[in-house]
Amino acid sequence: MSWGTLVQRLFRGKGSKEEARNRLQMVLVLDRLGLSSEQMEALRKDILETISRHIPIDSERVKIDFVHQHTPAEVVINAPVRRVRPTVEAPKHSAG
Amino acid sequence: MSGRAIVITSGKGGVGKTTATANLGVGLAKHGRKVVMVDGDIGLRNLDIIMGLENRIVYHLVDVVRGRCQVRQALVKDKRFPNLCLLPASQVDQKEAITPEQMRDLTAQLREEFDFVLIDCPAGIEQGFRNAVAGADEAIVITTPDVSPVRDADRVIGLLQSSLGDPQLIINRLSTDMVRRGDMLNQQDVLDILAVRLLGIVPEDEEVVIAGNRGSPVILNARSRSGQAYERIVRRILGEEVAIPEFNGSGSLINRLGRLFLRR
Repeated sequence: MSWGTLVQRLFRGKGSKEEARNRLQMVLVLDRLGLSSEQMEALRKDILETISRHIPIDSERVKIDFVHQHTPAEVVINAPVRRVRPTVEAPKHSAG
Repeated sequence: MSGRAIVITSGKGGVGKTTATANLGVGLAKHGRKVVMVDGDIGLRNLDIIMGLENRIVYHLVDVVRGRCQVRQALVKDKRFPNLCLLPASQVDQKEAITPEQMRDLTAQLREEFDFVLIDCPAGIEQGFRNAVAGADEAIVITTPDVSPVRDADRVIGLLQSSLGDPQLIINRLSTDMVRRGDMLNQQDVLDILAVRLLGIVPEDEEVVIAGNRGSPVILNARSRSGQAYERIVRRILGEEVAIPEFNGSGSLINRLGRLFLRR
């Protein structure tokens, strides 16, 4: 390992393999389905809209992943729920 | 008698199809099988030079298909193994010079006489690929553990599955060092992604370049890591159960030193 790589490694942490793996898995699902990245974006928007109609979610952090652990691959949607202050006052505890 | 016709393909160019074809051809011949290697890369022939047979070509594949000569006349006999032949590609024609049907007929004719017909496929997924695959009944896909060859391999596997069923995979040029550092996809990563059966792993090895320079496939160098890997692959093709060694670079320096001492 050269000094350059060593220094890079110190700052970057683990090797570049994980990046290769993740990028490949993503691109291959699109390749296999014949989906373009625009279609993928459209899917993301649709999902986001549908969920937020019922649950408040953090739209910036919605992630769609394809998981290959099982065949066929699964679509995993990660949509963090936004913490909402209750607007309606909580029912008061009746004393006794 | 009807031999096995195996196409060696990859999608991506430069990952080692021709080198693999040459080594499998020599390896199977070493085990006493009658083998013909067909260079399917019309216009960009290379199997002849890798085999060190470039000065012996008289006729080629397109001559045979066009009826300009008999198959027998175009076959170049290997200088090391009398049971090994090369059917060279034409250097002047285009991929479109032959059709998949013609290739199918030619392969059928060859497998009458040989135990193994190995077809070296050109890069790409166009006509040359369709020709090379047409006559085969098995496929070996070769890839290196890099993002673009793996992506192209996936595409080719998809195309093959519709005609030949599941191909087997050779992972070529795996660097144990880079795997150990976490900078290269390892065997399991590639298999997770491509979901096909692994036929073997060939480690990165300078000897392959030297073998190419000499026109003497690396499998003839029994001391080389890659030559040994090809030998194991050949035995697997012949139906033997041969374990695939882990090239995961597993183990610390101490482990590796330990192994070094234990080897004697």
